[in-house]
Amino acid sequence: MIIRRLVSLPAAVLVASVLIFLLPRLAGVDTVRAVLRTRVAEAEPDPVVAARVAAELGLDRPLPEQFLRWFGHVLTGDLGLSYATRAPVAPQLTSALGVSAVLTVLALALAAAIGIPAGVHAARRPGGLVDRIVTVTSVLGVAVPEFILAPVLVLLLAVAVPLLPALGWGSPAQAVLPALTLAAFPAALAAQLTRAETADVLSRPHVVLARAKGLTDGVVLWRHAARLALTAVTSLSGLFFAGLLSGAVVVEVVFAVPGLGRLLYDAVLGQDLPMVQAGLLAVVVVAVVAALAAEVLQLALDPVARAAVQR
Amino acid sequence: MRSAHLHRCSVLTVVVTVLALFAACGRGPGTDGGTPVPDGELRIAPQFSPRSGYAIDTDDPYILTQLGVTEALTSATADGQVRPALAESWTQVDPLTWRFVLRAGVTFHDGTPLTPAAVVTALGHVAGVAAPPRALRGLGLTVVEDGANSVQVATTHPDPILPLRMSSPNAVILAASAYTGGAPSVIGTGTGPMRLTAVEGAQRASLERFDGYWGGRPALARVTTTFVTDPAARALALRAGDVDIAQGLPESSLLEFSAGSGFDEQTVAAPRTVLLLLNQSAAPFSDPRIRQAVARAVDRTALAEQALAGSAIPASELFGPAVAWGAHEPPPAPDIEGAKALLVQAGHGPDNPLPVRLWTYQNRPELPTLATAVQAMLREVGIDAEIRIGEYGTQEPEVLAGRYDMFLLSRSYLTDVPDAGATLRSDYACDGSYNLNHYCSPAFDSLVARLDTATDAGTRQDVFRAAARMLVDDVVGVPLVHSQENGVSRNVVGYTLDPMAKQLVTSQLAVTG
Repeated sequence: MIIRRLVSLPAAVLVASVLIFLLPRLAGVDTVRAVLRTRVAEAEPDPVVAARVAAELGLDRPLPEQFLRWFGHVLTGDLGLSYATRAPVAPQLTSALGVSAVLTVLALALAAAIGIPAGVHAARRPGGLVDRIVTVTSVLGVAVPEFILAPVLVLLLAVAVPLLPALGWGSPAQAVLPALTLAAFPAALAAQLTRAETADVLSRPHVVLARAKGLTDGVVLWRHAARLALTAVTSLSGLFFAGLLSGAVVVEVVFAVPGLGRLLYDAVLGQDLPMVQAGLLAVVVVAVVAALAAEVLQLALDPVARAAVQR
Repeated sequence: MRSAHLHRCSVLTVVVTVLALFAACGRGPGTDGGTPVPDGELRIAPQFSPRSGYAIDTDDPYILTQLGVTEALTSATADGQVRPALAESWTQVDPLTWRFVLRAGVTFHDGTPLTPAAVVTALGHVAGVAAPPRALRGLGLTVVEDGANSVQVATTHPDPILPLRMSSPNAVILAASAYTGGAPSVIGTGTGPMRLTAVEGAQRASLERFDGYWGGRPALARVTTTFVTDPAARALALRAGDVDIAQGLPESSLLEFSAGSGFDEQTVAAPRTVLLLLNQSAAPFSDPRIRQAVARAVDRTALAEQALAGSAIPASELFGPAVAWGAHEPPPAPDIEGAKALLVQAGHGPDNPLPVRLWTYQNRPELPTLATAVQAMLREVGIDAEIRIGEYGTQEPEVLAGRYDMFLLSRSYLTDVPDAGATLRSDYACDGSYNLNHYCSPAFDSLVARLDTATDAGTRQDVFRAAARMLVDDVVGVPLVHSQENGVSRNVVGYTLDPMAKQLVTSQLAVTG
C-alpha cells in the first residue's frame, strides 16, 4: 500500500505544480504592473519600463516556455529569485518553513497533550463534571476563531498579567502564545474525538471482559480503550499538520512570527509569483508526505486496519 | 485574500478595543519627559514593513532613512525648504548642471570616508536601474566627480528642484562596498547615526549606535525594529510593553493612549487626500453643473467628524494642513437647495434622479465608509449612486481609460520630495499620466508650466496654491478629507511623528528611566 502511495506522489506534485503555475495567470493578474507597484508604490504604469521589467523577469516569453523553465529549475532545487526582494526564494522559504514547522509541531504536541487526556477522562464518566467541562471547553475551542483568541490571550497573558511577550520569534517564551492559539482548535477537536471513540471502545465486549478479569480502570482505559481512540486522532494529524503549516496566517501576522503563512500572505499581496509558487508547492509536498506519514502511524496503532491492509 | 484580511483586521480591532477596556487596570505607569537613559535600547514597531529587501530603487529606503541608517546629499523640511545633509552646499552651474560640495569628515559605517567617487557610484546605480524610482525617473541623471570634494549632477532637461530631489530616500549614498553586483547591500554601508547590523526578512531589523557619526554621538545604543503589519497587533504590543514606539494604530484604539494613560500620543495631518474623482470625459460629469451639484451636496465636515469619527480633517481643496501651501480654512457648508437647482437645470430632479456608478476599493478601510456616506448625501439632492467596491488593481485601467463615473481615491500628493509639481502634472495636466479626472485646461497647464523654471520654494508654493484654487473653481473632482497619521510612545524623549515618514530615529532620540 505504501509503495503504491509513493508511486502516486510525483504525479500528485506534478498536477499541483501545473495548477500552481497556471492559476495566477488564468486569474488575469497583471504581474508586471504588480511588480512595478511593489517596487515603487503608486507608480503610474510606464509602457517602456513595463516592457523592460517583463523582459528582465522572463514574462515576455510564451506560457509553456515559462512553465518548463520554472519547473525545470524547481527539479534542480532552484526556486528562482523573488520579484519583490530580488533575492533567492529557496533560503527565504526554507527559513520560513523551519519556523512554521516548529510552531506547528509545538501546537500539535500541545493539542495532543491537552486534548487526548481531556477526552479520555471525559469518557470515563459520561455526563459527569469532567465531561461537562471538557464538552463546553472543546465547543469553545472549535468555535472561537484565531483572530479573536490571539488578542484575548495577549491581553490576558501579556498585558493584564505580563507573563509572556506579545510578539516576536526566537526565544521559547515567544513561542508560547502563538502555539497556544494554534493549538486551541486541534486540541478541542482531539478532545471531542477521543471522548467519543473512548466511550465507544469502553462499551465493547473485550474491554468489558478485561474489566471482569480484574484489571484496574487505568490499565483498561489506557491499554485497551485510549489506544484505539488514538487512531482516529492520528488520522487527522496529517491533515492538521499541512493545514497549520500554511494556514497560520492570522497567528503569524498578529504575533509577528516569520513563518510560511506570513511569507505566503506577503507574497500574494505583492503578487510575488516565484515566492507564491514555491510556497504553495512546498505546502503541497508537505501535505502529501504528512498524509502518508499519518496513514503509516495509524497502521502502527490499529491492528485491525493493519490486518485489513495485509489481507 | 486581501479583503479577508481586512475583514479580520476590522474584527480584530473591535475585539481588541472592547477587551482593552477590561484589561486597562493592568496597565503600568510611565510617562514621557523622564530622564534619558544613557546608552538605552529602543524597541519600535513602524507602520510599514520592508517589501523589497531594502532595495534602494523601491520604497523601502524610506524605512532606512526613518531608522537613521542612511542619508542623502540633502534633506528637506516639510514646508519644501532644502537643507544640507551629506552635501554642505550646492550651486547651479548651468540650466542642466548642479555642483554639490560634500561635507568634510563624514564616514560610512564600514569605516571608509565619503568621497565624490562614492557619490558617483551610488547615484549612478539608482539612476540606471530598469525601473527608476519616481524621484529620479525621466531625468537622465548623470553624476561625475568634480575635484576632491564635490560632484556635478546633470540632467537632460532643466530641473529647478534637483537639490530638493536629492533629499529623496532613493538618492541615499551608500559606501562603495555596498555595490558588489546585484542589489546594493545596506548592512553596514550607510552614514546615519545608527548602523544596520542585521535584518530578518520583513520581520525584524537590528541597529547599533554609530560612534563615528558626523552629527554627534547618538543617545541610543541599540534599536530593535519589529515590523508588525497588523495595526491592532501593534497596539497590543505597545500595551504589553514589547515596544516603546508604535505607529499607525487603529483609530479605535487611540483612546487607550490618550492623555493620562502613561503614553504619549501624536496625530499629525498627512499629505494625503481622499478625493471623489468625477470623469469629465463623458456624461454626466462632462457637465460642470452636475459636478458643481455634487460638490455642493457633500458635507465634508460631517464625513470627517461623523463618518470617520474625527480621524480625518475636512478638505476644502487638494492640499491640506500637512504642507505650508495647503488650505487651513474649513470647506464650504453643503448647499442642498443649490445642488438641487443645478441638477434641475441639467435636466434631473426628484422624479428623474441621476443614476451614476460610484467605485472605490477597500485597501484603505475608510473608503467604503465614505462611499456609503457620500451615497446618502447625493441621494438627498437627486443623484442615485450605485456603489461598487473592488480591487484597485483591476479598477485602475478602467478609470485611466475614462470608463467610469465617480471614483473614490486616496491619493498622496507628496511623493518623495516636499514639492507638489509632480502630482499637479501627472494628475491634472492635459497629458498627465495619472489624470483620472480626465481634466484638460490650457490655463492650468500654462500655470503649472511656470514650475519648469521656478527654483525658489516661495514662488513654487504660490503656483501650488493658485493651481489648487483653479481645481476647486473648475470642480475637478471633490476633495473630501485629508488623512492623518498617528504614533504613540512610552518612556521616550525626542520622538516626533514625521508625516513624510523620513524621520524617526535621530541622534537625540532616547529612552527614559
